[in-house]
Amino acid sequence: MIDDFKLKEVISNVLGIPTVEINNDSSPDSIEKWDSLSHLKLVMAIESEFNVELSPEDSMDMLSVKLIRIILQDALKK
Amino acid sequence: MNGRMGKDNFSSIINSPSDYARASREIEENDSLNKINIAFLSSYTSEVLNPYIVVELAKNGYKGSLYYAPFNQFEQEIYNPDSELYLFEPSVIIIHSRIEDTHQNLMMRFAKYSDDELIEISEDIINRHQKMLDGIRSKSDAKIIVINFGNSQLTEEYFISSPVIQSQQTYIQKLNNSLLELSKNITSCYVIDYQQLFAHIGLNNSIDPKLFYMARIPFNSSSQITFGKIIARMIYVIFRVPAKCIVLDLDNTLWGGVVGEDGISGIQLSDEYPGNIFKAFQRAILGLRDQGVILSIASKNNINDVLEVFEKHTDCLLKKSDFSSMQIHWENKASSIEKISKELNIGLDSIVFFDDNPAERDWVRAQLPDVKVVEVPKNPINYLKALHESKFFDSLIMTNEDRVRADIYQQEQQRKSDLFNSVSVDDFLRELKMKIKIGFSDDITITRIEQLLNKTNQFNLTTKRYSSSDIIKIISDGGKVLWLSSADRYGDNGIVGVAILIEIKHKIWIIDSMLLSCRVIGRKIETAFLAEIVEILKSESAYELYGQYLPTKKNHIVSDFYKKHSFKLTDKKNNFWKLNLNESDIIKPIFIQVSRND
Repeated sequence: MIDDFKLKEVISNVLGIPTVEINNDSSPDSIEKWDSLSHLKLVMAIESEFNVELSPEDSMDMLSVKLIRIILQDALKK
Repeated sequence: MNGRMGKDNFSSIINSPSDYARASREIEENDSLNKINIAFLSSYTSEVLNPYIVVELAKNGYKGSLYYAPFNQFEQEIYNPDSELYLFEPSVIIIHSRIEDTHQNLMMRFAKYSDDELIEISEDIINRHQKMLDGIRSKSDAKIIVINFGNSQLTEEYFISSPVIQSQQTYIQKLNNSLLELSKNITSCYVIDYQQLFAHIGLNNSIDPKLFYMARIPFNSSSQITFGKIIARMIYVIFRVPAKCIVLDLDNTLWGGVVGEDGISGIQLSDEYPGNIFKAFQRAILGLRDQGVILSIASKNNINDVLEVFEKHTDCLLKKSDFSSMQIHWENKASSIEKISKELNIGLDSIVFFDDNPAERDWVRAQLPDVKVVEVPKNPINYLKALHESKFFDSLIMTNEDRVRADIYQQEQQRKSDLFNSVSVDDFLRELKMKIKIGFSDDITITRIEQLLNKTNQFNLTTKRYSSSDIIKIISDGGKVLWLSSADRYGDNGIVGVAILIEIKHKIWIIDSMLLSCRVIGRKIETAFLAEIVEILKSESAYELYGQYLPTKKNHIVSDFYKKHSFKLTDKKNNFWKLNLNESDIIKPIFIQVSRND
């Protein structure tokens, strides 16, 4: 299972928003600071924190906290 | 952690992109750090480096505020005086144009080019850099950091010697040589050796193709961290004053074991493990000496045991004569370091202390907070790494004076012992057979002049710090920037004095700055220098000369300089002094031979 606390912390650190403001549906649409460059920074931070390598497609698709969790879960199984 | 983070609060626990992102945000809220504006012009998305540069700078006490120009906007930013670049008022401008981005075929289809075409391309690349650097210099005094060109990623074919690929490596090497040469002719311009840095990291381990193809980010997150660290280290080194002297312990530092107990044959110092670790460390210390670092010793030992090692131990590379000061006795090390500081006439803040004993380090830290203390690791195998990582001796400009500085300090020791033997100070000075030469700042001497202006604290009347671009400005505004070199029977001291003269009103001049390196203090060279200044100004029919003394913690030695030379106090509050050039003269000491560099 993915450490939910750790994931939220990474998102909070990279995007500069408090963890309490992050929920399952948080996405670039709901969080202003989540722009395309921040998105890549988020991908890099997740890769490093969870010790996983994500494909370009996976990286592009991670467009909400829920999707990040699903994709990350799959990637960790591989 | 709240907003109260001094530079010591950033430790190595910050090591992942997520930690860096958080820490860099906390630094933005921190007002205790020195703010520094840095502009980054690049051919890729350099903004991803931001947290790494910011956090690494904060470890050294700086709060970096960065402006990233849109990628590939070099000329647009540089040639337009109203561009964002100049509006940002940067103290540092970083230029990173990667060949991979500007000349893709050169990296990926090298074989398609003829020799003539290759020459033409390299000239283009170098000319473009020359123009960019000149362009910046004409509009800004910012320090410039140029990143050189990296190698193309190699595949294993290369190692079985494909001549085509090899010549590509040579080609890039030559480009880098040209870039280095041109940077030397631009004031305050420094090169980061990206080529070697990425060879060091390993190109294959530093790229994430996904990041490059999706966002023009040419390195993965771990090499972003490394690159950010190097950039921060360069900026730190550009602005700080380098240490001058290392104070070394002996037992378990320069050799393994305790000489007083183990005896000369029992200490570890040889070509075999573990003695070879200490021998290598000694060699590295000699390397510091070659760079101009002064070596000295603070050790609790019996002096005779130590001298025996220096004289008789065949694997002891360091000799007694390599040390400018030796404090070998049973007194505490803080007082030893104070004695070294007095003896060598250097400030405590330019001394680095290296001792394997944590108690000694703590004592020195507590007693002499200005002394820089290396956090020496337990295992001697890591001593060298700790010394390098301390950054205390990173040096960007290596002048000839640096190279001979350690020798000069040794000669100074000889002079001092002579001083005690000779009859009177005047006799001693006469015996020194001093010669000084005075000249005007030019391309060759400006680096040394800048260096002296920025690190001389004691014999310095106004302690005004000027960069070489400031100096050039002063000269173009009609000021005179003079240097003074000195030599005596013991050797050549090189350039040891600087004076800056400015005409404040028609034929009325002021000594804006005047300084002498501490190694020539107390020899009446200052009087000869002042006499020469007066002569130069009189030849331009100046009639009044002003001087000012701005007191600091360290320049008390010159507080009565103008009084001694018959200047009259005209403004007590601001400490202005005046000499009427038509009525007074400065008498040159007869024992100093003066010449002009014409």
